Amino acid sequence: MTLHDQIQQVIDDEPVAIFMKGTPERPACGNSLRAIQALWNAGAPITAVDILPDPAIRAELSAISDWPTIPQVFVKGELIGGADITEELFASGELGRKLDEALGADREQVVKTVAMAATAA
Amino acid sequence: MAADTIRALLEAAFPGGQVDVLDRTGGGDHFQVTVASAAFDGVSLVEQHRMVNRALAAPLADGTIHELRITTTKGTA
Repeated sequence: MTLHDQIQQVIDDEPVAIFMKGTPERPACGNSLRAIQALWNAGAPITAVDILPDPAIRAELSAISDWPTIPQVFVKGELIGGADITEELFASGELGRKLDEALGADREQVVKTVAMAATAA
Repeated sequence: MAADTIRALLEAAFPGGQVDVLDRTGGGDHFQVTVASAAFDGVSLVEQHRMVNRALAAPLADGTIHELRITTTKGTA
């Protein structure tokens, strides 16, 4: 599967996907940490992809999402934004409402990571 | 100064808007930008940030901006 398809699959299939620098346990950037904290505090299940192992991940992701910076947060396949918007939506309560609507209020809060397999194209 | 360049790009992209650029760390590459513009009226938050990112595409792409925080507000003709 191409890198493009792997990224698209995570976006499409995971209830809440975050493309970040580092991992939820060890964020490698303040903005990735801010987004993870907001998602966690909103009770979101989190599927994280570390973009640092291969610069191609970020390039391909930004081409798909039309969003230049990291992190990027998707709920049910839809880009909700980066760290600023995720924090803003959490602070206003809208993130929680969005998650309730998309995933149900009694959702399980699982945190996992997905690695992109190295690929020629 | 990168901050001046960023301010100029945003003022050009959002004429009549209110633009504020803060060098968060003093290092000249971590910025907080705040834009109030009527151009955001009726536009989703994601799209508002996309508009700001597009205005700053060049300094984002060439590494002038290492980290960017964005706050947008509607209105203010």
